[in-house]
Amino acid sequence: MSTDSSPDRSSHAGDRTVDLELDGTIGPETFRLLACCCVLVLTAAYVSVLREVTRAVGGTEVLFGLVGAMVLAATVLAWTIRPRTATVLAVAAGAVGFAYYLERAGLGVDVVLSASDTIARDTAALATGLPLIRMVEAGTWTLAFVPTPVFLSWYLAVRGRYGLAVVPGGAALCFLVLTGDAGTTVTLLGTLAAIGAVGFGELERRGGSIAQADLLAALFALIIVLSLSVTFVPGGSGTPGHFAGNEDGTLEGTIDYASERSGIGGSVDLSPAVRFTVESEQASYWRTGVYDRFTGDEWVRTGEHGNYDGPLGEPPGDGERVEQLVTAETELGVMPAAPHPIAVEGDLAEYTDVSQQGQFHPETPVLEGDTYAVESVIADPDPDALRNAGTDYPEPVTDRYLQTPEGVSSEFEERTAEITDDADTPYETAVAIESHLRSSKGYSLDLERPDGNVAEEFLLEMDEGYCVYFATTMVQMLRAEDVPARYVTGYTSGQQVDDDEYVVRGTDAHAWVEVYFPDQGWVAFEPTPSDPRDDVHSDAVQQARSDGDESVDTDTSEDVPITDDEDESEASEENAETPDVGEDEDRDWNDSETDPGYESDDDGTDRERNETEPGETESPDSTTTDEPIEDDEADWRTTLLELVSISREAATVGVVVLIGLAASVHRAGMTTRLRRTIGRYWQRPTDDPDRDAARAYRRLESLLAREYRPREPSESARRYLESLEAESDAEIDPRVESVVDCYERARYGGGVGRATADEAIAVVDDIARKRLPIVGSWRN
Amino acid sequence: MTDANYPPQADGRASTPLEVSTVADLCAEIEANVAEVIVGHEDVIEHVVTAMFGRGHVLLDDVPGVGKTMLARSIATSIDSTFRRVQFTPDLLPTDVTGVNVFNQKTREFEFQPGPVFGNFVLADEINRAPAKTQSALLEAMEEAQVTVDGETRDLPEPFTVVATQNAVEPNQTYDLPFAELDRFMKKLRLGYPDPEAEVELLGRTVGEHPIETLEPVTDLETVVAARETVASVRVEEPLREYATRLVGYTREHARVGVSPRGTIALLRAAQARAATDGRDYVRPDDVRTEAPVVLPHRIKTTDRDRDGATVVENALERVPVE
Repeated sequence: MSTDSSPDRSSHAGDRTVDLELDGTIGPETFRLLACCCVLVLTAAYVSVLREVTRAVGGTEVLFGLVGAMVLAATVLAWTIRPRTATVLAVAAGAVGFAYYLERAGLGVDVVLSASDTIARDTAALATGLPLIRMVEAGTWTLAFVPTPVFLSWYLAVRGRYGLAVVPGGAALCFLVLTGDAGTTVTLLGTLAAIGAVGFGELERRGGSIAQADLLAALFALIIVLSLSVTFVPGGSGTPGHFAGNEDGTLEGTIDYASERSGIGGSVDLSPAVRFTVESEQASYWRTGVYDRFTGDEWVRTGEHGNYDGPLGEPPGDGERVEQLVTAETELGVMPAAPHPIAVEGDLAEYTDVSQQGQFHPETPVLEGDTYAVESVIADPDPDALRNAGTDYPEPVTDRYLQTPEGVSSEFEERTAEITDDADTPYETAVAIESHLRSSKGYSLDLERPDGNVAEEFLLEMDEGYCVYFATTMVQMLRAEDVPARYVTGYTSGQQVDDDEYVVRGTDAHAWVEVYFPDQGWVAFEPTPSDPRDDVHSDAVQQARSDGDESVDTDTSEDVPITDDEDESEASEENAETPDVGEDEDRDWNDSETDPGYESDDDGTDRERNETEPGETESPDSTTTDEPIEDDEADWRTTLLELVSISREAATVGVVVLIGLAASVHRAGMTTRLRRTIGRYWQRPTDDPDRDAARAYRRLESLLAREYRPREPSESARRYLESLEAESDAEIDPRVESVVDCYERARYGGGVGRATADEAIAVVDDIARKRLPIVGSWRN
Repeated sequence: MTDANYPPQADGRASTPLEVSTVADLCAEIEANVAEVIVGHEDVIEHVVTAMFGRGHVLLDDVPGVGKTMLARSIATSIDSTFRRVQFTPDLLPTDVTGVNVFNQKTREFEFQPGPVFGNFVLADEINRAPAKTQSALLEAMEEAQVTVDGETRDLPEPFTVVATQNAVEPNQTYDLPFAELDRFMKKLRLGYPDPEAEVELLGRTVGEHPIETLEPVTDLETVVAARETVASVRVEEPLREYATRLVGYTREHARVGVSPRGTIALLRAAQARAATDGRDYVRPDDVRTEAPVVLPHRIKTTDRDRDGATVVENALERVPVE
């Protein structure tokens, strides 16, 4: 009998388990799936950050291949090797990767032993906000970095150790957050995924139901809201310096918004304020930044800055040593100097950094009135020498200055090849590109920033742009033709106010191109058409002057007409500016076009365009006077629209907050508790004294429950009271009994009168409030 | 709660209902009076008095000599009622209890000679010694408050309370009361031996003149009848009726035979009387709780030895929610 019944019973038990699942418990498989998905999302989060890097420097396919291989390997090995072996394997893979990185970076693996402090410092630099994109071998670093966390986290996830699986992935993401590469969204997503993995993993392990996921929901909401309201993540990208000239929306601000990155924006304004003055025997472009890596939408200077300690080596090629004395007229985040600076003197010298591209940068902003002396070698190459320079580029130059972002279209390359078809040497290529850009594109500061690769868009789609677009496009075209080139930013020579004195304004901010020639070094090229540019820029100054802006002029510059002065200095300036001046005969365009003397005629349309801006800002005034009522209405409408738009933005956050609140309230059973707590201290008499009496007693009961113990369901009110008195030594308020009496009469007897009920309420009120001392009342 | 099971009030005994507080005082007086004779056992005295006011009968289940008779007698005396005693023996006939028609030579008619059951307070001593036929004669009287002799039905006096005793010492010489008949007793009580001090006290009182001889009534039958009216009008509100139902339901679920609806009625009547003795005109759960352990257990039959009716009731009180 018993043997018969036992399988029967077990099958019955099996049935019941299934029933329970159907009753709302979610099977562990579902939670397992969710947890694994979360681990994958976490992995995807940091891989996507790394992909941003490889998109610029190349290697995306390898990166994805590596990730795929690691996931595959982890899946296969999950049940064949033990966790310790897996960890050792993963760490070993990481070590090999980094060794390869060190080799590629030209340091050699020995550096680990010989210069471990350097490595430590580099790591610290990364962890304190050095973006990956600034690393010289960012691609290799990325590939070295990725296998360990991917393998480990997926290996652990497959084994069901979700909590541990989150650790390597989380650490990887955390590191990328510290370098400033991981944006808020990615970080948020990764964090949510990490929590999800742990949460769902726990639910799987303990056989939880979906109802218990409310804690998870509350956590999610909390994190989302926190991440939207607090940003304490250090990062190089989002923290532009706040010195003058770096306001958003100005050309300068766009070009030099952060010391090691140069963005490409849309429409920009010109700030006519004087930035600095230079005393120099020779006019020149004043260079402030050199950039080598292009990500498609911004320029990045790779490599760490070093401290300036003594003059740099003189660049190759012909050149003339020129001393300049630069005086800052406003606070400056840069150190303008004629290319190529080799030495700096003055108090600032010890606060000067040198980039790996040979540009000086101040460690802290240069203050107004600060002066420093720079010695530069202004290149003056011979065109023939350039033409004959050949293509024997040193490897460090080709490694760094031939980079193009991934996914450059063949159309761009074909177009470039077409333009440079006739060019036989790199020099001719550069000149062809330069002349093509100068002649085919218009100049405008008012444009919409294109999506995607800026160089490609400008060459193929856009009709006009400003220096940033011209320079970027030229560099990318040159690189497409395997000519090492780089993007430089700075200022044009400015207004010459004396024989050897130049006043440089915000309007003079500029970007141009430097091309490398073997044995000649870096030679500047100017792809931006000068005439329209200078029209626009001098108009801005004139406009500011007529508006009475005092910052436009120094003591000396005011009397000197900009146009005349530049006209006079035409020849010399041009010589200094661009080394190509000497090869005029090689150029397709007329010499006069390249001259910065162009401002002679004020193009009516340009002027008009400039004037429309202030005109537009005035226009609301006129409307106000004409039709004040309508304007009010419009104002009101705008406000309403703003409100609507704000609330729409806020709606998402609000919904998240609400979900979170609801979940946590559900979690804590707070609705009931809150209602009870409120009800405990506050009772509004109703029309029915019996109900009031009953309610008063319930309140009393909850007070007693908090003070002593809850009433057993089988205990009557009186018995509860009696046993409380018996159980606890503390004396219970004698009035309590009257409340119980009242309750009993209301419930079991013929009811109570108004007065009796009120008295009961009063007693309970009194007792409740006596115990209210805020802190204690919330302690449960 | 006015139930058809009970006879209407006896003729010519119209009474005005008493205040509940008066009833409470009356109870207290009776109890105090009885306590002069019975030492200790205050709770039992109270139970018997409340049973009387609650229109119920009491079964005392105990060893001989602990004062069962004395208890009944003293209560009867206290309320100035007629006290009758029937000693049940194996050869006792039903007519020995109910009474018999006797032929009167003078009037040449049959005359009814009322039996001992025609009294206000009847002590049925060692009821389990008589055979079932005789027992049932008494039980009819208890249930219906009337007796039928030779086809003629006669009402019993009001009030009518039976206190039966059961001898638990000699089980082989007794006829066990059938379960259905046990059900008719409102309460089954045990006196038990008095504790030593009480016994010393008892001896001190009884060696000379027995106090029962000098016991004076503290009230009259009319008042008792009026008090019973008052008790019957004590409120039993819905939540309480539900509570009683839950309690009884529990015993039905947890025993082979649970408490019958008659038992539930008895429980609430006892609770009414209890409330009245406390001076309340409404029953509260505590009244039910107090009465349940004496009203319910003898109506419950369990299968296993470890759990008797008392345990089931105890569990019920522990587990059944009041509200």
